[in-house]
Amino acid sequence: MAEFMMPLRDLFFWVSEFPTSIAIRESLYVSPYLTVAHVVSMCLFAGLIVMMDLRLLGIGNMRTPFSEVQKRLFPWQMLGMGLSSITGLTLAYSDPMRFYVNIFFWTKMLVMVLAGINAMAFHYITYNSVMTWDTRETTPFGAKLSGALSIVMWAIVIVSGRLIPYNWFQN
Amino acid sequence: MLQPFFDWMQALPISQAIGSSIWIFPLVQAIHLVFLALFAGAILIVDLRLLGLGMRLQPVSQVARDARPWLIAGFLGMFATGLPQLMQNASREYFSEFFWYKMYLIAIGLILIVTIRRKLTQVDEPSAAGKVVALVSIAIWAGVVINARLIGLFT
Repeated sequence: MAEFMMPLRDLFFWVSEFPTSIAIRESLYVSPYLTVAHVVSMCLFAGLIVMMDLRLLGIGNMRTPFSEVQKRLFPWQMLGMGLSSITGLTLAYSDPMRFYVNIFFWTKMLVMVLAGINAMAFHYITYNSVMTWDTRETTPFGAKLSGALSIVMWAIVIVSGRLIPYNWFQN
Repeated sequence: MLQPFFDWMQALPISQAIGSSIWIFPLVQAIHLVFLALFAGAILIVDLRLLGLGMRLQPVSQVARDARPWLIAGFLGMFATGLPQLMQNASREYFSEFFWYKMYLIAIGLILIVTIRRKLTQVDEPSAAGKVVALVSIAIWAGVVINARLIGLFT
């Protein structure tokens, strides 16, 4: 592993020796049930993100103004994000060294950051003009681009997350 | 009773081919989850509306009609990616209680969608029955997801 990654590796290793981390790791049932809860909360988060993205693309939920879709789904998306984060962070906390060497884990983390940047960019640029396209039959290019990027990136997050147990590239 | 059928599925050349590749099964499994997100979104957007939450300024019937194509697409995608996973592992999944719980819950959930839930989403404002059905629907599909994940973890 590259030299510049060493502080990160040290951090992961340090966490892996916490008594609570070891306790969860050694429990037979905590991790599986955290995984189950992680998938259920993913449904709430990703499901309602996709519903909003389809509206941005101009192909779904078109009878509802975009600002209304955004405003009404947002609290549920945030609830989903909160629950996925809590369950996901606890899973990472319980076995950091397993994830540290996993290419799919890092792919997931990287693409999640990119998806967050995409959401921010949409919020601060395209969303400013929402009143001009809120109820129109077609959405502007910026909205379509954000919606498409969001669907693709969250799909990559889901796929790479599911592939974490199959670490084909670990030597 | 169905065991010979499951063994037959498992023995099919295509099932063997899926099992002999190290990446087909994991990728199909991962794409199954992407369709799950689509399906879950199309379920939740309607059930939240039925509960008087979510997009509550829109008529229930309109939210349900807009969600339907994505609900169908999500389900078909899950079926197309779920079947190969079952075929590859049929003889073992036959003995998994989680697999059967999942199948029963899917059957109940689908019947609910095309009968009572369909009827109760044809109105502008949800009835009390609509709220109950929304809660039942969320519980059933959450049960499907939970049991599905447990097949992989404990079979």
